[in-house]
Amino acid sequence: MMTKRTFWILQTVLVFILVLGYHNERAEAASPWLWDRVLKQDMVKDAMQMPTALYIDVDKELYYVVDSGRNRLLSFNRKGELLNIFNAGKALNIPFDMVKTEEAGIWIIEKGNNSLSYIALKEKKVTPNTLTYKGELVYPERIETHAGLLYVLNKATGNIISYSKKLEPVNRFSCSACPWGFVDFKIYQEKIWALDQANRTIRCFNLTGELIKTFELGDTINFPVSLAIEGTGFMYVLDRQSRDIAVYDRNGTFKYRFLEQGIARGQLSFPSEIRFDPWGGLCLVDEGNARVEIFKR
Amino acid sequence: MRLMSGLFSSLFCFSLVFLCTTPSPAVADNVCFTCHDKTLFTDKIVHQPVAESQCSVCHNPHVAKYKGLLRDHNGTLCYSCHKKSKEEFGKGIVHAPVAQGNCSGCHSPHASSNKGLVSNDLANKCFACHTDLPQEYKQIHKPFADGNCIACHRSHQADNLQLLSDKPDTLCYSCHAADTLQASHKDYPLALKDCLSCHNPHGSDRQGLMRNFLHQPYVEGCASCHQGSNKVSMATCLKCHENTGKELLANHSHITLQEGNSCLNCHSPHAGDDKALLKNKERQVCNSCHAETLARYRQKAFPHPPVKKCSICHDSHGSKNLAMLKGDGNAICVQCHETQGKFTHPVGPEVLESHTGQMVTCVSCHNPMGTDHKDHLLQEGKRALCILCHRTY
Repeated sequence: MMTKRTFWILQTVLVFILVLGYHNERAEAASPWLWDRVLKQDMVKDAMQMPTALYIDVDKELYYVVDSGRNRLLSFNRKGELLNIFNAGKALNIPFDMVKTEEAGIWIIEKGNNSLSYIALKEKKVTPNTLTYKGELVYPERIETHAGLLYVLNKATGNIISYSKKLEPVNRFSCSACPWGFVDFKIYQEKIWALDQANRTIRCFNLTGELIKTFELGDTINFPVSLAIEGTGFMYVLDRQSRDIAVYDRNGTFKYRFLEQGIARGQLSFPSEIRFDPWGGLCLVDEGNARVEIFKR
Repeated sequence: MRLMSGLFSSLFCFSLVFLCTTPSPAVADNVCFTCHDKTLFTDKIVHQPVAESQCSVCHNPHVAKYKGLLRDHNGTLCYSCHKKSKEEFGKGIVHAPVAQGNCSGCHSPHASSNKGLVSNDLANKCFACHTDLPQEYKQIHKPFADGNCIACHRSHQADNLQLLSDKPDTLCYSCHAADTLQASHKDYPLALKDCLSCHNPHGSDRQGLMRNFLHQPYVEGCASCHQGSNKVSMATCLKCHENTGKELLANHSHITLQEGNSCLNCHSPHAGDDKALLKNKERQVCNSCHAETLARYRQKAFPHPPVKKCSICHDSHGSKNLAMLKGDGNAICVQCHETQGKFTHPVGPEVLESHTGQMVTCVSCHNPMGTDHKDHLLQEGKRALCILCHRTY
């Protein structure tokens, strides 16, 4: 016969099992990332509009945000304070992505002109450039710079093309197994990490264009638009439709996902780019919420 | 002791409820068919429970929540026996009635002349939902004329778009011999492929089921666009379609395809069913890339009612707005929701979201594609939604 004591012991064990199960489930979703600060323009009626990219000037410890909707660039210091707003004398036409070079100039993708324009800061001069590759017009989408070369993602082909500063093509990064090409790429540890949205894979190339490794993301991702590689080698993939970030280890094994849809702090609307800063921050450009949020461990 | 008696009482009540709600095979043949004409439940193929006169497997003879005194929702009830089917039918692209658990949309649950209890008037049932399919053509493909939809399409789920049972070209070649086809395309310089880019598989006003609208350069001759065996680039298209070229120079565009021509993602260069020469019906063209996104929204508790064309709201070439909308989140919605355009929560350029500084629009509170909340609201509409902005509410 069951005594009152046995009943309570059994009940306690049952509750313990249930609580343990719940916490195991939560552990899968746990993220070490906490909201730290935001880069945005607070002035009424002058907020950013559809920011699309972030560039980090490591030497000067500055963040540059590309404000595609208002045709301008905004610079912030490491604390997230707005320093400057720059529209190149209203010469920019849908800026989309940018890099700074050691010559104190800015290379900026202008979608409205289909141009990789060069802004000479000292001369205050904007020079538009139409890119081609083997006679075909290039539609620049994303840009990175490394070892004196400009790496441009061509939206028309999904290929990445490296150019000299004179805009002469040097190399092309593509793969036969990814006919839809790439939607984003980053350069990390002398390798190019490219995101193949259609096949939900990350392709890793060496700088001579040789495909070294492929990571299959499978059903863990829906509509990936951007990626970033952490110092540990973990890969972070931004999902624009799911409004979250999926994290994979060095072998491409899915580890966890975090963030969610919304307008509040730490929530995403139409995120467009993800990038690590050199100070341990995970930076997220959110077009829909018109801001860049920075998360820290 | 009190604990034990409590347990026994609970067990007794549970057993009583279980016995009352479990089908009782004893309620059978003679009882039901004294009122219900048994001849209406007989045909070449009879559903097993009907054959065994076990009406109460599916129906509760006294009272039920569901029409026809069914014991459960249509799909749930069917899958209670057809367990393997549930798993199988959930894979790949799923036919809408299957996703909705509406098995009786296509099947006769009692008896039918057809295998699998498929309804005797299946073709009519197909057209009852697929109302945008023309039923009359001057030239008509035989399987379509015969109402034999399943000659090419699968009825539950498929790995191919439009529930095709195989790749489109493979399907064509399964009936049409390769040498015959090659002979009828004498001037075609390459191996035949992508049949549907020129032919309508259901019917057409033209010979050979050639789609009704021809691209003018195609009429004028191949050399209008083709030079040797080189691929025709997007630049060739944009030489004539200058405005489209300008539309592509936007924040977001549909330029995308490696080593190819982005235009051909959606358009046929030779012939189409409308002036836009789309490869298929617009929704199907969009679905060919955005299937998962559309499926996800369809599964929401409150999806937007189907619209004929995605391009009512979205700009298919390029857009300066989020989600490639044709305008801001107000201009698009009030095209249909006229009342809300005149009387609503304050919206427009003078009203800004407190969090983001962006203009308040319909999409500040609604996701027009669908959500799990009534009226496609982003959150529950009584409080949770409002406090996103009105924090002191």
